[in-house]
Order: sequence, then structure tokens, then C-alpha cells
Amino acid sequence: MRVVAVYSWARDVTGAVVLADGTVDWRRGRMAPGEDDHAAVAVAQALAGDAGAVVGLTVGDADPSWALARGVGEALRVTDVPPFADEAATAAALAAGVRHLAGDAPVDVVVIGDAEEHPGVGVTLAAQLGLPVLAGVVAAAADAGRVEVTRRVDGVDERVSAPVPVVLVVAAQAAETKAPGMKELLAARKRAVSTVGAAELGIDLADAVTTEARRRPELTGAELFTGDPTDAARQLLAALRSEGVL
Amino acid sequence: MAEAWVLATSVAGLPGLVQVASGAGPVTVVAVGQRALADAASAAAGAVRVLWVETSADVPAEAVAGGLADLAQQDPPRLVLATAAPAARALLGAVAARVGAAVLGGVREVRAEGAALVVERVALDGAVLETVRTAAPLAGVVAAGAGEMSGPGAPGTSGTPVPGVPVDRVELAPADLRVVERRDAAGGGGVTDADRVVSVGRGVRARADLDLVGQLTAALGAELACSMPVADDLGWVPKERYVGRSGQQISPRLYLALGISGMPQHMEGVRGARVVAAVNSDPQAPIFRHADYGVVGDLYEVVPALVAALRS
Repeated sequence: MRVVAVYSWARDVTGAVVLADGTVDWRRGRMAPGEDDHAAVAVAQALAGDAGAVVGLTVGDADPSWALARGVGEALRVTDVPPFADEAATAAALAAGVRHLAGDAPVDVVVIGDAEEHPGVGVTLAAQLGLPVLAGVVAAAADAGRVEVTRRVDGVDERVSAPVPVVLVVAAQAAETKAPGMKELLAARKRAVSTVGAAELGIDLADAVTTEARRRPELTGAELFTGDPTDAARQLLAALRSEGVL
Repeated sequence: MAEAWVLATSVAGLPGLVQVASGAGPVTVVAVGQRALADAASAAAGAVRVLWVETSADVPAEAVAGGLADLAQQDPPRLVLATAAPAARALLGAVAARVGAAVLGGVREVRAEGAALVVERVALDGAVLETVRTAAPLAGVVAAGAGEMSGPGAPGTSGTPVPGVPVDRVELAPADLRVVERRDAAGGGGVTDADRVVSVGRGVRARADLDLVGQLTAALGAELACSMPVADDLGWVPKERYVGRSGQQISPRLYLALGISGMPQHMEGVRGARVVAAVNSDPQAPIFRHADYGVVGDLYEVVPALVAALRS
């Protein structure tokens, strides 16, 4: 199977700091791998197997070598794609990239991370490509020209079979445990990456959403007890009693 | 233009969805699934109409996404909402792409201002609330818990039966997607229905230290759970007790996390908990952003102090 693995298509939320007035300061503002991207690449590799191929697809100012260091053979970056508030615009840029890759050879499966922060991108990408989609996927296997995915929904383990071409939106079960070493990272930087401009792909990049105001939530996190452990433990238990949960 | 559509593939979160959607106008619930779902949609306060697409048990709801997009195109809704459930989102994406809607996650409130829609949403993993504006149509994934009120006035919780709205059955040809197998996930060994759960993460340094945690679970009358690495990588706690996106999703009254950093994958498993408390030595640990109460300290000092205080 020829599988397109989409990665680093949004900014990393941990790179943003929200100031007291609600202003968002992006300390790390580049497109970066999402928390599900490593799982998406792993699913892509499982589907491609030895006979198939995985092609990476990323956008904007992302570092394409991230996937190349994880065993992906080649990558395409669609340049001049900014971070959009409108997830349909992000999906449109990605869809244009997938179509561009499909111009070289047919694409059987597109995998993309199921990012909590951007829950609409993967499913909208599929619809813009006119393909069926399964989200919340944790694993997938090729099976007689079809794809069988595994997922857990509402406490039920489900195996679903889909024809190709199909889009799989993959949810990581945990953080990446085996990050590539220096050798893989250096080798990845030497590999060829194709780039194509959004304008060349004929896509009109416009954000249909305007942000009018930002503010911090009134309750930011836990009521914290610090200092002497005995005092802190007593304070915690008092709080839990007042909540009626002890 | 039709007003608002709610796409439902399960009853979870349905009353809240309808309430949020009603900010844009009269709500049509599109229920994709079994009869019971259509009936629940019919009784949801605020809905004016239910379109029911019946699917058989071996066909996932996603199979009718294309047909639903065709239906939406006939009379495009100005707002379409769904929960983050995978099947519901697949339907949302299909409708959004067909009607040319903007797409947003984290939606908590929507109101119409003339032709535009103004949305209150949560972003950056809960760190910021945004007010955004878009020309209709808009497709939104609602934030967990959005639109849900507590108390006797809450939709769907009232003891008074709500008169049902009409259910119109719609036939849509399904795409070639098949459920091969569906079975209940492994039982949680008491974790899934416990009132109080104490959960351990990588902050616990050795397997033998679980004895210390055992004293706390005994004193609290709690069940023991853990984060994924403790079950998967270390094997200290049975796998059916790990809580998270791919593990157990639990709703105890109290969830007490010891030495758990609070990665999103873990926190998804305790969204239903009433009170979340955490003990962690790192004041910047993400879990303190999600917890109601926290103790910043060494769990090897705090846990014995908790046990002593509970016994006294």
C-alpha cells in the first residue's frame, strides 16, 4: 500500500503562554509534531509493510525531517501555509498536498493524528478528498486489499473494515517511547524533501474565522496546598470532606 | 437556510449539544444509530425535529457520512454541532466540507448576530477562552461538558417527562464500511464503578512502594488504578486497571492521582470524575491544570501523612 502520513500541521500548544490579559505569546511558534503524530506514522508504516511505501506530508514552516528520522522514506512540504483558526482551511491545504502526491502514484491510505486541540481537521480532510474516514483509530492492518482498524469507543473495543482509499485519524495511546537517536536525526536531515507552494497547488488560503477576544479562564487549575506535608495532607482532606467525596 | 443541526451517534452529551446549538436557532437532531437514540433525541429539551437514520449493528455510523452530506446540501444548516466522538466527527466533517462550513473545536456557546455566528470556545488545552466570529455556516465540535447545566432545570435530567418531538425516518445508502467485531472492553477489576480511586504514575519509584499506596486505598476505601506506563512498561498494576484514552474511562466521585504528570492521554480517562486531586512534586505538572485540588510535595511524605490523618 502507498500511505501518506500527515504530520506537524499545527503549532504545539505547549509552546504558547497565555498572559494575564489573555494575549497568547507563542514562544515556539513553528508548526510542530502533535502528540498523536508518532502513532500516525507507526500506523502508516504498519499498513505499508515491506512492499509498500510511506510518504510524509507536512505544511508551513514545519521541520520535515521529523518523520524522515522515524523511517519515512520521503516527504513533501506545502510551504506558505500559516496556522489557521478555521480547521477547514488547514484541511484544505493538506488535501491539496495529498492530491499533489496522488498525481505521482495512487494513494491508498492517508493517516493523520487525532489531535484533541484540532478535532475537525482529519475528518474534514477526508471529506474534502471525498474519502471515507475512521477516527479514534489506535491500530490498523492491511487485509486483502482493505484496511482493518482497531479502536475503543465508549468502553467498547471495535474492529472496523474499510475499503481503500480511506483516511484514518489516529489517536496515540501514550507519549512516544522510542525517539530516534542522533544518528537517525542527522541522516534524516540529509534526505531530500520536496516542497510546493500553496499557490502552485491552486488553493485559496483564507481564514473564515476571526478571533475577537481572548481571556484566561476564571479557574486556572487546582487549589494547591504546599509546605509541610502533614499540614498539606490535612488541608487536602478538609477540602475533600467539604466536597462530600470522603 | 435551516437553522441548527446536531449530529448524534450516541446519547452521551446530547442534551448539552442541543442546548449549545439552540443559540443559533431551532435545532434539528440528526440521530444516526438505533431507535433508542432517536427516542432520546426526541425527548431532548430544545430540539424541534429529529431526523433518524437507522444503521444496523454491523454498519458504523460513518458509513452514512456521504448520504448525510447530500441531505445537508438540500437545505444547508447554518450551524452543525457534534461531540468529539469519532463517528459523530466523521459525519460533521462530511457535512462541513459539503456546505463549505468553517470548522472549529472546543465550542462552548454559539449565538447568532445577524448573518454571522459568534462562538465562545476553549483553546490551547483549556488555557484560554476565545470569542471568535465567522460567517455561517459553521461546523463545531463541542468541548466536553459544554451546555450541561446541573440541577432540576437541566435538560434530560428532569423528572417530568418532556413531550417528544416528531421523529422523521430518513433512508441513506451506507458506504462499504463494516464492523467486524465489537465487544465490551476488559473489566476494570472494580475500578470502573468505584466511588473513590487512587491512581499511581511514574512518580512511584519501586513496585514495593505500592504497599504504601495500599495503606492509603484501604484508609480511603478506594480502588487502585494507574497511568499507562505503570501497567504497560513496568507491569506493576494489572492492565485492566490503567486509566486513559486507550484504557479505562472512569467516573468516580474522587480521583486522587499520585505522581502522575497529567498527559492528555491520561486525563481523557477521568473526565467524568467529580473531584480530581493530585500529589506531585512538580508544581508545573500539567495535572495541576486539570485537578480541583493538589498537594505540591513528595508523595513519599504526603501519602503517609494522608494515611495518618485519615486514621486519626
